[in-house]
Amino acid sequence: MRESWLLFWRNLREFWRVFRHNRMGMIGAFLLLSAVLIALFAPFLSPYEPSLVIRDATGRGLTFAPPAVHGPLGTDDAGRDVWTQLVYGARISLLVGLLAGFIAMFIGSLLGILAGYFGGWIDTLIMRVTDVLLVIPDLPLMLVLVATLRQMELKISPLVVLILVIGLLYWTSTARLVRSQVLSIKERQFVARARAIGAGHFHIIRRHILPQLMPLIVANTVLILSTAILIESGLSFLGLGDPTQPSWGTMLNFAFDRNAISNGAWWFYLPPGLAIVWVSLGCVLLGNVLEEMLNPRLTAHHLEGDVRVRPLEGEGAYG
Amino acid sequence: MKRLAFGLLGLVLFLVGCGAPSASSEQNQPVVLRVGWLGFPDTLNPAYAFLTESYTMFDLVYSTLTTEAPNGDYVGSLAEAWTVSPDGLLWTFTLRPNIKWHNGEALTAEQVAWNINTFIQNPDGWVTTSGYVLGFKQARVRDERTVEIELEHPISNMESRLAFLYIVYPEDFKGFSTPEELQNFTNFNPVGSGPFKIKTLDKDQRVILLETNRDYFGGRAKIDQLIYRTFDNSDALIQALRVGDIELAAEVPTSAFQSVKEMKGVTAVSLTGRSLSQLILNSAPEDHDPAPNRNPAITDPAVRLAIATAINKQDLVDVVLQGQGMPGLSVIPPSLGGGFWFNREIKDVEFNLEQANRILEEAGYLKQSDGIRAKDGVRLEFRLQFPSDSSNYPRAADMIATWLGKIGIQATPSAVDPDSLIVATNPNADYDMVIWGWGADPDPDFMLSVLTSAQYVEGGWSDSGYSNPVYDELYAKQQRTLDEKERQKIIWQMQEILLNDRPYIVLWYDNTLQAYRSDRFTGFIQYPAGIDSFQSLMNVEPVK
Repeated sequence: MRESWLLFWRNLREFWRVFRHNRMGMIGAFLLLSAVLIALFAPFLSPYEPSLVIRDATGRGLTFAPPAVHGPLGTDDAGRDVWTQLVYGARISLLVGLLAGFIAMFIGSLLGILAGYFGGWIDTLIMRVTDVLLVIPDLPLMLVLVATLRQMELKISPLVVLILVIGLLYWTSTARLVRSQVLSIKERQFVARARAIGAGHFHIIRRHILPQLMPLIVANTVLILSTAILIESGLSFLGLGDPTQPSWGTMLNFAFDRNAISNGAWWFYLPPGLAIVWVSLGCVLLGNVLEEMLNPRLTAHHLEGDVRVRPLEGEGAYG
Repeated sequence: MKRLAFGLLGLVLFLVGCGAPSASSEQNQPVVLRVGWLGFPDTLNPAYAFLTESYTMFDLVYSTLTTEAPNGDYVGSLAEAWTVSPDGLLWTFTLRPNIKWHNGEALTAEQVAWNINTFIQNPDGWVTTSGYVLGFKQARVRDERTVEIELEHPISNMESRLAFLYIVYPEDFKGFSTPEELQNFTNFNPVGSGPFKIKTLDKDQRVILLETNRDYFGGRAKIDQLIYRTFDNSDALIQALRVGDIELAAEVPTSAFQSVKEMKGVTAVSLTGRSLSQLILNSAPEDHDPAPNRNPAITDPAVRLAIATAINKQDLVDVVLQGQGMPGLSVIPPSLGGGFWFNREIKDVEFNLEQANRILEEAGYLKQSDGIRAKDGVRLEFRLQFPSDSSNYPRAADMIATWLGKIGIQATPSAVDPDSLIVATNPNADYDMVIWGWGADPDPDFMLSVLTSAQYVEGGWSDSGYSNPVYDELYAKQQRTLDEKERQKIIWQMQEILLNDRPYIVLWYDNTLQAYRSDRFTGFIQYPAGIDSFQSLMNVEPVK
């Protein structure tokens, strides 16, 4: 176990050497990282609570105040500081995106490995379920599910509902991807060798297949993260978020409902929109670069056989 | 294909219009007033109509015996004059001469009596009119222009009730054997006797085209056609008004009012209205069938008081209504009867979060590790639902949930489609708190009836499930009290009872916000019924 982690770190350092010269990848990492930092340090970036109503001299809520009148980004229809909403919204948007993304990644990888490795009826069963889920359009299905779940008297918050629904439904593409990769890995010699000396299924999966899969899974997770954030924004925009914990999508929902466009309040709807673009662009750039660099299928010439599959050093260590 | 055909037709019309802009053709062109709104009537059947949009159409298409004049008095419409017997039990109405239905037939006293008798005899079918004929015994024809209505007991608001009994064309409404059959009849092609008649009603495009009824007994409207167009969102509606695609915006969302006021050629109107919005607290009796599904803590008076204390109504008015309204208190809006019915002596609790926290603390609701209060294992977690067709309620729900969060109550806001919400509130009693609103009648009777236990039946008006025998008795009493001062006293007492029991926390009274192209049309009458009331629309004429 320790050996493979050492290996992992070595690979990571190797990876970073190549990665930092990739401009697209660095831009993507910067976009994503800056959003994460803003989310983490939200309380230090704004003097207000997100729910605080900014008031004028007479004590009335200062609604739709343009940036010239208040703060860097003005106020919304409820007299709340838009900049504060934006930085605190980053927490919700990223949190939902990350958790949902990880759940999806976990389920997708697990099912993909099971299906690919064991084959037979397990494969058939998992893949048919995947097919069914793939055929149903994501957004409408999630919409119906979230709306229905919220009407039920569940003792869970709307945000958790969002996270679970996105996470539990969005694993299909990962499962397919992982399965096909496992199908190819399990035919390789080192797996055959391991099996020949009596290694169990769990051992083979953990020591031989998973390390080979990790790059693919990491790249895929970053891509899923972007989709999860977009879906969260979409659902929140449609009013299915938690209005007491506003995300960027919820901000857009209010901007739309409360006629920000008719009021010319661009400072209310542009920032959350751009923030969503910022993060998803970051994820897509980073994800694509990672996939390019890490996916053995995209780098190795598979016609040359399996000798170039990374990490090359790994084979020795396992042997 | 259909869309394409429409496009081509539009193009042809446009070309024709460009080709012949002569003065004579302009004179022959019908004067069209285009109205934009956000809803669409789901039915035009007065037996079973719940949406405001349906009633807007009824007012245009149908006539009633009496009607409310812009100054608030009740005047004759179909009826020319009426008398009441000294004991208050017999009302005699004389109809105007020569009233015609839209199809050219004469409207007779027999038909009026048939209407009233049908409403009385079939309350299960005529659900939405049944409340207005309670206490009616029967209607009789005395001669061809005279109808008598006999009552079981004196009725204090007879004239205002008759203003809601739309006289329908009997042939359209005979031949339904069950109440359900009658209620499912959408009547989208109604024959009425009102100032406008429906020419086409397109459910898919959601456009209604009405033509002026040239034979209307009250005189002919000054415009020739009226077009109602439904917009999917309010920004599109406002844009249409800005560019002149419509001349009248029947509803301007509060958050857009300021921007509409600044438009050129547009007059924005903010009228003291008769509507209110309230937080409904589930008050259905324990033995209600089906059994209420709610957090039992919502029925605790201390919890209710704490919730009321934690809501800053002035903030709601400033933010949600952008200042176009006033904080709510009683179910009787202060505008009814010029303020005569509104109890001026009752006082609201003051907004005070510390006080609200103290109330809960003293009632034994203690904060748990997660900050939510609980007592005997009952946590103060409530659903906070609101109809999805309003742009005000999401913001209000968000604000209320935030305040409640500060006193250890977790309220989870969610938008629900209005039809489901009707069923959830009545008869299912499956909710904790709901934000919703009412448009009150000019007479206080209707708003008071909403909280009587008799209305908590399927298809009834009650949504709170409130049931209080004392209140019910007072309600019946005010209905029979002919002396206005006496009636006022009872109605004031009823408002006090409601304020103490809190089936509703009335949040605000919102102004009616509307706007019209004042560079094209003039003559709108501004009064609580709105500038799109039928009296106002009959008075509208193009700017010369």
